[in-house]
Amino acid sequence: MGVIRFDNVGRVFGAKSNPFVALKEIDLEVGDKEFVAIVGPSGCGKTTCLRLVAGFDFPSSGKVLVDEQPIRRPRPERAVVFQQFALFPWKTVHDNIELGLRNQSVAKAEREERINRILELMNLTAYAKHFPHQLSGGMQQRVAIARAYVLDPDVLLMDEPFGALDAQTRVVMQEELVRLARRNPRTVLFITHAVEEAVYLADRVAIMTRAPGRIKEVLDIRSIREAEDWDSYEKIEDVMDLESFVHLRTHIWRSLREEKAAATA
Amino acid sequence: MPRRLTIGAATILTLVVLWFLVTSVLGLIAPGRFPSPQATIAALDHVLFRGYAGGTLVEHVVNSLRLVLLGFLVAIVTGVPLGLLMGWNRTAEALINPVFLIIRPIPPLAWIPLAILWLGLGDGAKIMVIWFAAFVPSVINAYAGVRTIEKPVLEAAAMLGTPKLRFIVEVLVPAASPMIFTGLRLSLQASWTTLVAAELVGAFYGLGRVLNVAQQDLYPGMILVGMIAVAILGWATTKGLGMLEARALSWNQAAALAGKG
Repeated sequence: MGVIRFDNVGRVFGAKSNPFVALKEIDLEVGDKEFVAIVGPSGCGKTTCLRLVAGFDFPSSGKVLVDEQPIRRPRPERAVVFQQFALFPWKTVHDNIELGLRNQSVAKAEREERINRILELMNLTAYAKHFPHQLSGGMQQRVAIARAYVLDPDVLLMDEPFGALDAQTRVVMQEELVRLARRNPRTVLFITHAVEEAVYLADRVAIMTRAPGRIKEVLDIRSIREAEDWDSYEKIEDVMDLESFVHLRTHIWRSLREEKAAATA
Repeated sequence: MPRRLTIGAATILTLVVLWFLVTSVLGLIAPGRFPSPQATIAALDHVLFRGYAGGTLVEHVVNSLRLVLLGFLVAIVTGVPLGLLMGWNRTAEALINPVFLIIRPIPPLAWIPLAILWLGLGDGAKIMVIWFAAFVPSVINAYAGVRTIEKPVLEAAAMLGTPKLRFIVEVLVPAASPMIFTGLRLSLQASWTTLVAAELVGAFYGLGRVLNVAQQDLYPGMILVGMIAVAILGWATTKGLGMLEARALSWNQAAALAGKG
């Protein structure tokens, strides 16, 4: 299982005399094996939402629950993929992926089997003995995704994972993530500011407002995706041409633009 | 690389020829002030085979090298863990930092008189002074090494459920190791500087002792031999440490080669 629930969550940073309200009254539920993307302008607190689930940060008010349990500290059941990859540069690709399994005391033979399987799935088999710095950004992020996925986590937390990649690599990674997520579904909380990415990947998209961050609107993508059978298209650009996709994207853009207008007004 | 080597060799050769010219051939520098190449070789022969200032060159070298390595080892074995602890634990930092701030401005050489008073002219005093000198760079750089670890790397380790001991060995130390090695190089330099100074002030043998006696004997050739010996030893130990570093940080070397790409 892996149900995430934000229950009236608030997060305030800074001193009491000069508080900064990052999150206010956040209510959101991510169902088991559901893929939810949070989009919002930069500085709206979307990454803070993810950090609360990861156990890197804690709410000032309200509750963040996973399977109805409050979060006390980071755990491998809630695996994180970071924007800057956060690989261990002194460990090979293989050893980076292996660390989490060793921490869980998985036996050597099973470790190797699981590592080989994920390396194959992520097209990394030839790079098992490479160090992160010998790989391109896209490859490094594949390793980071493999490191998280190999743990078979209940929840996968992805913090703008493709934000540091160039446009072409980004598209390839998005397609691969869709492939991976459909084949091996997990509860995913995906943070991004790229609207197309959110629509293409997620079952539902939550739109956030600028500080204080609130959830303005949650859009159901999945029913439309399934009705129009997006997953039958191999390439992202084919999906992006569909009227249903364009419609959703435009809707989210408008919603975000209202935010921008409100902020500058 | 061969081109650089050729130029380097040519530079040294030119300097030796110049040295020979201004001393032996032209006599521009009096032999009492700076020795000629022949006088230096004679001094080398003297200390190498007949012995000088209480021992042969090999005995002096072995003694100095032994003390430097001992003092250096004591310093890094105590300094690096302390630096790591201070970098990692706020309480430890708060406790130790004030002591450090008081001790740090004292030049290591200023400890020599106290060390001799406490431990005499033998090995103990030398090791203590080297320890004081080499300790500081080890601590500071290990501390800075921990402080400069990127936060996501620490969060990744936590997210993967890494237990404490494994975290220290496989994450904290390797992440800080480029800075730790910077500290070790500075510590090693400090070790040589302090040892020679300590032996100059008072010792039964060692290269500093050779320098001290040669000065009293007005023996420029021997002074130069002592200086060259210290230079070669300092260079060789630094080189050895550099090789160790290259091995330990091969992952970092790859990063440098790939242009951080």
